[in-house]
Amino acid sequence: MECVYTTEFKLMYGMLFSIRSFVSKMSPLDMKDGFLAFQTSRYKLHYYETPTGIKVVMNTDLGVGPIRDVLHHIYSALYVELVVKNPLCPLGQTVQSELFRSRLDSYVRSLSFFSARAG
Amino acid sequence: MADTVLFEFLHTEMVAELWAPDPDPGPGGQKTSLTVLESMGFRVGQTLGERLPQETLGFREELDVLRFLCKDLWVAVFHKQMDSLRTNHQGTYVLQDNSFRLLIPMASGLQYVEEAPKFLAFTCGLLCGTLHTLGFQSLVTAFVTALPACKFQVVIQKP
Repeated sequence: MECVYTTEFKLMYGMLFSIRSFVSKMSPLDMKDGFLAFQTSRYKLHYYETPTGIKVVMNTDLGVGPIRDVLHHIYSALYVELVVKNPLCPLGQTVQSELFRSRLDSYVRSLSFFSARAG
Repeated sequence: MADTVLFEFLHTEMVAELWAPDPDPGPGGQKTSLTVLESMGFRVGQTLGERLPQETLGFREELDVLRFLCKDLWVAVFHKQMDSLRTNHQGTYVLQDNSFRLLIPMASGLQYVEEAPKFLAFTCGLLCGTLHTLGFQSLVTAFVTALPACKFQVVIQKP
């Protein structure tokens, strides 16, 4: 499973990095939050970055509005509590904690815009 | 009151530091690291045992002291009471915490069970040290079957 996703992750990182710097250069006034999301005719990609450089990305349907608070919750209540505070999860490496994975999964499933139909 | 995470982070670093020079020290080295953690906990427990108890003559018997550990000590260090205390009335007590603060972020089930003892050594020493100041020699061991629950077995040594 890991091999399939690694290329995708690299592509995504490169793209996000470029978009972020593009957005800040093109902005006519001082930016507040910076790059928030982009959408195509098929999906919408939401982006949230912390001062420490942790990036939270979520892809949703087009009908979903701003979900900055959701992404922030994923960072503070899930990542910080279950990964940063976990002595057995070294920062910077792939998260191995099953607890993090299962809590994240149930949280996403509980979101109002999550549809079980889509799996 | 200091933020509770400060102690958690410090504890994480203590364990990491003792295991850092040699991630797999083998049975001999590992035992030393556990002993170091336990003796640190012991000294902290000794001083907490002096500082914490509010009433001077509150402890009439062994069971009172154990109750003090489960209530006052646990609340002071982990901000919750021990979930259960069992005894055979012959000097052996089993203290059970169903959601031990230092294990909560790690897992909810069987993942990381082998690593858990490192994170309990300091606390075993803590219990032992507090008992020592209050006049009891003891042997404390910890058991984990499924995180974040754990049990501390306290055996009071007869003089």
